Amino acid sequence: MDIEGYEFPEGLYYEKNHFWARVEDDLVVMGMNDYAQKMAGDIVYVGLPPEGKKLTQGKSFTKLESGKWLGKIFAVVSGELVEVNEELEEDAKLINEDPYGKGWMFKIRPDNVNELKNLMTDLGEIREWLKGEIAEHGTK
Amino acid sequence: MTGGLRFDEQQRKAVIQCSRCGFCRAVCPIFDVSKRALSNARGKMILLREVLDGKLPVSEGVAQALMRCTTCMNCTVNCPSGVEPQEVIKAARKEMVGMGYDNLFKAMGEVVEKYGNIYGEDERYDWGHKKGKAPCVLFVGCVGTYREEESMAETIGLLDLLGVDFTMVDEVCCSGVLEDVGYRVKEELARHNIKEIRKTGATELITTCPYCYRVFVEHPSYRDLGLQVKHITQFLKDFDFRVKTERKVTYHDPCDLGRHAGIYEEPREIIRKISPNFVEPERTRENAMCCGSGGGFRGTFPRDSLKIARNRLDRIIEETGAEILLTECPSCLHNFRNAKLRRQKIEIYNITEFIAQLYREGASPEKEAA
Repeated sequence: MDIEGYEFPEGLYYEKNHFWARVEDDLVVMGMNDYAQKMAGDIVYVGLPPEGKKLTQGKSFTKLESGKWLGKIFAVVSGELVEVNEELEEDAKLINEDPYGKGWMFKIRPDNVNELKNLMTDLGEIREWLKGEIAEHGTK
Repeated sequence: MTGGLRFDEQQRKAVIQCSRCGFCRAVCPIFDVSKRALSNARGKMILLREVLDGKLPVSEGVAQALMRCTTCMNCTVNCPSGVEPQEVIKAARKEMVGMGYDNLFKAMGEVVEKYGNIYGEDERYDWGHKKGKAPCVLFVGCVGTYREEESMAETIGLLDLLGVDFTMVDEVCCSGVLEDVGYRVKEELARHNIKEIRKTGATELITTCPYCYRVFVEHPSYRDLGLQVKHITQFLKDFDFRVKTERKVTYHDPCDLGRHAGIYEEPREIIRKISPNFVEPERTRENAMCCGSGGGFRGTFPRDSLKIARNRLDRIIEETGAEILLTECPSCLHNFRNAKLRRQKIEIYNITEFIAQLYREGASPEKEAA
């Protein structure tokens, strides 16, 4: 789904730090949304913490960098980090090229999958929120 | 005919002086990963010679080619003709900017002016250390403040542990990097730093960043500083550290600290006190390969910069088998940490950060012996 010129596929959960989530079996996969990757520019580094790290929904747990910009990565749900996308170590631009596919970042075993209800799924709500973000941070 | 470049006699001589032998190729960190002739000093000297002779016009392509240099100075050390390519390249970058070939550092200069740091960050990390009167000032710099703040917290903690009476200041970017990439130090920022530092009444200025150290020591904008400037390794070299590690340790010479400032021995004196298993990489001291972060290269070509850091790190691991890589430069530290792959088990620290951790772990010589 195109929202304000950015791709926001239907069926995903979106949180307001600009990360998406989807359920895959008993895990939650997360990555960065299209607006954020475009704003970040050419991403060159993603911190990949060790598996087993405990995450808390809405709290930052690692960083990513693009040239002079550094951003925090926030957990979409609470739980245990069980897998990282190791391809990002040497090819972080996958996030730019395919943010919802090959550019996925982490897989989390959620403590409570119902936490996903705190995220946005309604396209109307996502549109209004994104308009506010664009008004505040601009576009690229 | 100068092809548009207004090089002075000395700069023109330097370009002509290059004998095109190519001994700079093997030591150029960019050539090492790209194998492209234009990426090393020889290629750039030939390019500039052709521009100066009017055989090639000044162009965006020439400006771009000149940006591909970390100013690491390894070419200079290995040049049998006595050329200092990084100085020629820096002068050429200034000329190119003067001719309208701006680069991304024009925007960075504006960011530095507006925010007081190279990253355009609104909020400055505050370690909660005192700010006021003290015999020493600690100046952290942009990379330490905004990219390696946790490492800096350890460094600050070490100075406290050692009983150093020091203050921090409301510092802004020294802005020295702008001199390397075609622009000028921001005089207003220099005046701010001098004012903040002098009002502490300190007699010594300690820097964690080798580049800030060089700017404070070398740049005319800071000539009124009136303090003795020391890199933190110079400041700490005579201290006794009551901690040791048995793990195998190696050291990477930052270009700005080693080749540019001539500080090779002080970091090693400190490391030898804490590590009986200290091993040097094959390319070390004045021959150390660059991590790829200097001269604006990390900002302009971040992906290639990380490739260079990964290349250097791979070789250090292969050559030394070390468990710990030490350096004492926030930029080198940051680039190496970004470059390290998960399968690489080596740990990377600033020396001061590592010693602070040893203190916290209680790694005294007596305990390790027991």
